[in-house]
Amino acid sequence: MLEIRNLNKTYGRHAALRDVSLTAGEGEVFGLLGPNGAGKTTLLRILATLLRPTAGTASVAGHDVTREPEAVRRAIGVVNGGMGLPARLTGREVLRSFAGLYGMTRAQAEARIAELDAALELGRTLDIRAGEYSTGMAQKVTIARALIHDPQVLVLDEATSGLDIFARRTLLDFVAAARRPGRLTLYSTHVMSEAEEVCDRVAILHQGELVTVGSVPDILAGTGERTLERAFFALVRGLEGEVARAS
Amino acid sequence: MRLEYLWRVAARDLLSTLRDRRTLASTILIPLLLIPLFTLGLPLLLGSFIGGQAQERQRVGVVGTLPAPLRAALTRDEKAPDGTVIRTGVQLVPVSDPRAAVGSGEVEAALRAPLPLPTRAGDGTGTLEVYAKLGNLRTQTGAFAKVQTTVEAYNRELAVQRLSGLGLGAQTLTPVTLSPIDASPEQERRSGQLAFLIPLLMLNFILTGAMATALDATAGEKERGTLESLLVSPVRRSEVVAGKLLATTVTALTTALFSVAGFLLAGALSRAVLRQSNATPELTQAFGGQLTLTLAGALALLGTVVSAALLISAVLIALSIYARSYKEAQTYVTPLSLAIVFPAVLLQFSDFLTLGSGLYALPLFGSMMAILDVVRGNLTAGHALSAIGANLLGALLLGLLALRSFHREEVIFRN
Repeated sequence: MLEIRNLNKTYGRHAALRDVSLTAGEGEVFGLLGPNGAGKTTLLRILATLLRPTAGTASVAGHDVTREPEAVRRAIGVVNGGMGLPARLTGREVLRSFAGLYGMTRAQAEARIAELDAALELGRTLDIRAGEYSTGMAQKVTIARALIHDPQVLVLDEATSGLDIFARRTLLDFVAAARRPGRLTLYSTHVMSEAEEVCDRVAILHQGELVTVGSVPDILAGTGERTLERAFFALVRGLEGEVARAS
Repeated sequence: MRLEYLWRVAARDLLSTLRDRRTLASTILIPLLLIPLFTLGLPLLLGSFIGGQAQERQRVGVVGTLPAPLRAALTRDEKAPDGTVIRTGVQLVPVSDPRAAVGSGEVEAALRAPLPLPTRAGDGTGTLEVYAKLGNLRTQTGAFAKVQTTVEAYNRELAVQRLSGLGLGAQTLTPVTLSPIDASPEQERRSGQLAFLIPLLMLNFILTGAMATALDATAGEKERGTLESLLVSPVRRSEVVAGKLLATTVTALTTALFSVAGFLLAGALSRAVLRQSNATPELTQAFGGQLTLTLAGALALLGTVVSAALLISAVLIALSIYARSYKEAQTYVTPLSLAIVFPAVLLQFSDFLTLGSGLYALPLFGSMMAILDVVRGNLTAGHALSAIGANLLGALLLGLLALRSFHREEVIFRN
């Protein structure tokens, strides 16, 4: 479902991603972890065809991100913390508008909106303008927008950013429930405890490099730590020690 | 390019624009209200001020004495055959220092004859000094105008009396009478001396109308984070740019349509008001252009306005996509209004300029000239096509520039 090989991205002299390679399969919730500036968002933007890689390849749902960007965009749904909603449109209008962009008919759109309404408990949120939403309401509609075409790959980038405790809990429960055959969920966060809770496997990025990939229990066992956050620090300290020794 | 996707992008931006009350007001209400107010209300108000001066009895100071017939002429009311006072005379009051009296506002004008004035033509000449605030429009159209016309009439009366004694009639003074006949076409006459305001206002309204949608659909979307969600959908960048250009142009054209309606409304209102008021058509036409259109003129105007709206929309989108926020985009595009105002103001001197055909091929400026020609009823097909073609070419180039910007990562993620 996701195959990344030797992916590099540079901005001028700054390397945002260095030789990143990883794979993820359907039915998984795959975590991308790392502090701010680790390269998570750059990687996800390449997968969403918003950025072009400097070198390397990536394919999503069997489509190459540089050669078949439209097919990739049909296969993915993206939610990130910075994404907003048009303030003067209602949730229903936003969802109808995006359904149209995915080539859905009006009847298909209405049926799908009804499904998402039931799954995400959108209720009256659908019929009020986005400018009047609370953060939690906006996040629900943003997720519904990303799911309107039932994507094969759901990308959540820092999706809990700015959410209150209730909205955050709803989102994490949703991510856990969204795991199903035929769908890959990519969950990017800098909050290790969230990844520990919802992800089957995780990839840890630090300063544009892939530090490790594996299941949460394997990473904890490999580092001898009790939490993913402690494991992250252990791995990063090890990496920085190697760099220091090499230089 | 897939038209249904283009339209979906445009529909989304149009719906958002339609929900914005401030944009609706600047798109519809302001052109409909402001144009009639500016082109009709202002001249009528000015006309009523000037007309009011005729009915007001101004105080005019006199140093020393004036010949009795001249005093009588100055204070006499001018009446219509039915007895209605058309113009009142002035009230003469004695003053000692004419300059001080005018300066203090005691009188509106003051008269001083250094030497006695002749009371019969042929008995030498005399000078009557008139002290007044000559730069003041109220004085110019009131006391000063009354004194000036009365003294001219007094001179004529003395000359006619003397000629009569010699057995000659009043016509001896005017062996040749000048009869001016306005040979300009009816449409040009109706357009008025300030017809250059029509392209200025029309293009400014297009800019205002386009601005709200263009900025919201580019920098606004970036700021809200909604552009990214649009770009990860299967819609192509070319369709995004074309859709936003279409939405912006539709808003701009709506404003243009209402500004044309505003001018037509002003014309209709002025005809109705003139029938019921004492303001002269010349006055109204001198101060505000009135748009009257033939079918060919309307079509030429439509083509020019549509192409100008496309060009302005393309400029706005190409510029505002660089901005990180709506506010920053406003800073980028605000100077554009000067690009309309300066050339449009230059058009008021168009009677003195030789405007070559090549100028019609200048984007935007050519449109202003074409709109002015439509208003005056003398636009040629060649000039119309040059103006429209230049705008379309400009819009195409700027549209391609905008498309290039939408493909550039450093522009799209410059937030």
